Amino acid sequence: MQPVTITLDGREVSGHPGMTILELARESGVDIPTLCHDAHLTPVGACRVCLVEDERNGALLASCVSPIVPGMVINTQSERVIERRRTVVELMLASHPDSCLVCDKGNRCELRQIASDLDIGLVRLQRIPQMSTIEEVNPFLERDLSKCILCARCIRACQDLVVEGAVDYFQRGFATIPATLGGTPLENSECTFCGTCAALCPTGALMEKQEPHRGTAQTVVETTCPFCGCGCSIRLEAKNGHVVRVTPGREGAVNEGTLCVRGSYGCDFIHSPERLLTPLIRNCGGFQEASWEEALDAVAAGFQRIRDEHGGNSLAVLGSSKCTNEENYLLQRLARSVLGTNSIDNGSRLYNSAGRIGLGSTLGFSGTTSHLSELEQSELILVIGADPGSSAPAVEYAIKRAIRQRGARLILVDPRQTKLSLFADLWLRPEVGTDVALVNGLAKVIVDEGLLDEEDVGRKTDNFAAFAEGLKEYTPERVEEITGVPGEQIRAAARMYAQASRAAVVYGTGITQHTRGTDSVRALANLLLLTGSIGRRGSGVYALQRENNAQGSCDMGALPAFLPGYQSVADASARARFGERWGASLPDERGLTALEMIEAASEGAIKGMYVVGENPVLSFPGSGRVREALGSLAFLVVQDMFLTETARLANVVLPAASFAEKDGTFTNFEGRVQKVQRAIAPPGESLPDWEIVLRLAERMGVPMDYSSPQQVLDEAVECCRLPAYSLYEGVDYADAEAKSLYQAETDNYHGVGRIHGGQFPEGFARFCPVEYVAPEKREEDYPFTLLTGTTPYQFGVGSRSSRSARLTKFCPHSSVEMCEADAAKIAVEEGEEVRVLSPAGETSAMVKITDTVSEGMLFMPVSSPQTPVHELFGIVLDAESKVPAMKSCSARIEKVSTE
Amino acid sequence: MDEPRTITESDLARIGEIVSEQSGQKWAMIPLLQRIQDEFGYIPPQSIPLMARKLRLFPSQVQGVISFYTQLYTEPRGKKVVRVCRGTACHVRGGKTVLKLVKQQLDIGEGETTPDLEYTLETVACIGVCALAPNIVVADHVHGHMNPKKVELLFKHREVGE
Repeated sequence: MQPVTITLDGREVSGHPGMTILELARESGVDIPTLCHDAHLTPVGACRVCLVEDERNGALLASCVSPIVPGMVINTQSERVIERRRTVVELMLASHPDSCLVCDKGNRCELRQIASDLDIGLVRLQRIPQMSTIEEVNPFLERDLSKCILCARCIRACQDLVVEGAVDYFQRGFATIPATLGGTPLENSECTFCGTCAALCPTGALMEKQEPHRGTAQTVVETTCPFCGCGCSIRLEAKNGHVVRVTPGREGAVNEGTLCVRGSYGCDFIHSPERLLTPLIRNCGGFQEASWEEALDAVAAGFQRIRDEHGGNSLAVLGSSKCTNEENYLLQRLARSVLGTNSIDNGSRLYNSAGRIGLGSTLGFSGTTSHLSELEQSELILVIGADPGSSAPAVEYAIKRAIRQRGARLILVDPRQTKLSLFADLWLRPEVGTDVALVNGLAKVIVDEGLLDEEDVGRKTDNFAAFAEGLKEYTPERVEEITGVPGEQIRAAARMYAQASRAAVVYGTGITQHTRGTDSVRALANLLLLTGSIGRRGSGVYALQRENNAQGSCDMGALPAFLPGYQSVADASARARFGERWGASLPDERGLTALEMIEAASEGAIKGMYVVGENPVLSFPGSGRVREALGSLAFLVVQDMFLTETARLANVVLPAASFAEKDGTFTNFEGRVQKVQRAIAPPGESLPDWEIVLRLAERMGVPMDYSSPQQVLDEAVECCRLPAYSLYEGVDYADAEAKSLYQAETDNYHGVGRIHGGQFPEGFARFCPVEYVAPEKREEDYPFTLLTGTTPYQFGVGSRSSRSARLTKFCPHSSVEMCEADAAKIAVEEGEEVRVLSPAGETSAMVKITDTVSEGMLFMPVSSPQTPVHELFGIVLDAESKVPAMKSCSARIEKVSTE
Repeated sequence: MDEPRTITESDLARIGEIVSEQSGQKWAMIPLLQRIQDEFGYIPPQSIPLMARKLRLFPSQVQGVISFYTQLYTEPRGKKVVRVCRGTACHVRGGKTVLKLVKQQLDIGEGETTPDLEYTLETVACIGVCALAPNIVVADHVHGHMNPKKVELLFKHREVGE
């Protein structure tokens, strides 16, 4: 394409066709003020502050929406331009309140900055008084529309970025305001309080509401969100050692300027008064504050005694899918080379390993095969067993953008209604736990109707014949019997899926946390292989991760069967290589997985455990049994930010720093390695986990020679052969540009990191026939099927989110959701406290009547510590992946007796 | 008096029918809004989510469009719309008083609708028949040379009815 040359302030500059004057000016270092413009939003030219003049014809152009044309002679600073800009801003100020002195937006207000830059001084126009503040009852943000300048940034953020559409312009002329449907307050609208609009608002019209989160920050640090697996980049704005505000990162390639309510408002857990400030040692039934010396001595002595008396295999370590890569690397080194055990696992076992094994055995690559930005290029997206709006909001935004802006089609497979149901072209509601049959049914239609990509199947896969044979029984009619999804819908879905040239599959814990989770993932992989949907742009499989570093903790070897980089512990050469480096001989026996550790602890085979950043008492199934097992240990060390339910059982509790207080890296669900940077100092005596592990190793007489997380990652990179990480090699954190490095990877690397160009790591992929196995018959006393899941306002089992003041204030109760018919049948009312019982246990919750679940179905979010939902689950493991089935169980509801 | 303002199930079903007949393209919004308004006299707010779904827009966007056009209404309108001219010629010849009288007769203010949904009162800037000033338009019929007597006559049957 021919570059376009224009004259800009007397200088010749060139840009590519289609570029706007503003873009070219910014590229050339010419500053043009803007108010309604933002890099992430579609330009609309609403504010007119960016006016420039074309000298040839005297036209005044809004530079943000005017494309460059050859021969233009643009003045950005002529007297006429400045005068016009002044008028525009003065008009805005004429209807803007004079509350700047006390407005919390203060020095961040872009209107005020521009007014000052343009030297407005006094407003000479007649003032138009504006209506007063609209008070909202939510704890997150406050709208004061008298300060609104109608730039539509919030509207575009809501409609185009997060695709919720809670607000749009209402009325016209002077009466115009951004309003919700029916003018209701935000909490009664579609608004999810993602905070994207508040971060974009140039004036004080949208602001943080509560006291400690106001004011101007002194420092801003760009880091990575600690909640879900999306890995959004966030900016921590700190003042006097206090994080006042969290806003979307500017550079983040994942979230593109968006965040969710957890990212924007949930990080205040770091200032919870419940943070642990000193190490605690149990004595005579209670905890006593101790110094690090005493605590580490006690820990070292405890582990040493057990190791020497019973051998390393009687010790186990639970690493954390919330901690950094470096910390997990150090932990597994500690476990293997110091404690002498391979029994190290991490919390992602609970939801992720079925996916790893299922994909690994078919595709030969055990993770998401493409980038989030490519998901937006898809023609068809199949979302199965996932509610990304709650569990991975950035992914949901991408899906909705693909639908609304690029016309992608959506097939949703979910028994429960989610936000995506409204966007779906086809919404299949199978019976819980029948995914394998449904996916096989889709494959069967595709094979029968000849819709498969024969070339891809022939060239890149094997075992197709056996697979096709295995599908024989899954006719739409039989699948209808099993799943309850009408055969016609199955046919329609299969056709829609197969006829799309770029199809992507997104799955979540609704697939992996069932007893046959591994098989369901295989069935999905088969479906992808059938239509050649791996390795093309805009297609592939997206395995959602529940936690920020689920991928990274596994990559780093916090797994019982693998050393860092998935090198098997059975591989003598790999063991030797690491052993030599660490100066120790490593155990060769495969260790225990997370749930097996609990079993072994209750049987007495495991005597000591080191739990880092996990809360198994709440997050594992069978809370009572877990509590008993951990309580029976001779020695339990828990390292956490809070005195969690698990920490209360410990002999020694070590206070850990939060993500905002340490350096390192997280790896998101795509496999993208992103930096975590320290914004404030850890409170009290708490220390970053990596430092604690290093100190502990030293105390145990085996010092590890690292002085910073960077050195740890350098070593991991050297030993791991994981391409995504190698980008960080030798690069100082401070300089590392996560985004550009990541792009470098996608351009140059072919192979393990991503399946590009259809190149499978082993050269070909393998169809794995899977059979549907009916779930166990529901017991008669338990007429309901209970599903568990996430809500947007809490996270995980709530160890952190329940300590976020704002999230808890907004969503204080844990509820059990049921449909109206069921509520009438068992005569319970909205808001009534009921007992929820399953064959394995019971809990209590408040009834919430909703139309999102169908008859006979209950839904409970897992995240409230007051309502330990996992009490309801027995420990039933997927045979291969050892994932416990904790997505659904049978249940009944009982009224709490009033006596 | 029964409550004419509530939208019944069958009304909603009818709206659903109208919506489903329309093209799902965005440009179909205005014709769709007009059809609903033609049939119901206004656009019931309950129909907004139905239309939004069909057009693949957000309810707030549909509401935004409705609120932009003064001739789209989200509240029920009277069977007869009374438009009192407030143009210059009518003003000079006592249009202001005519408006006052009409307000008294109908017992409603500007932009309001009588509770029995018979009349909606509006003002217009000029209807173009200044020769007949002062004018009012009732249900698209122009009544010229208005005076207090004629205003009373126009709405006389109402008092009798009540």
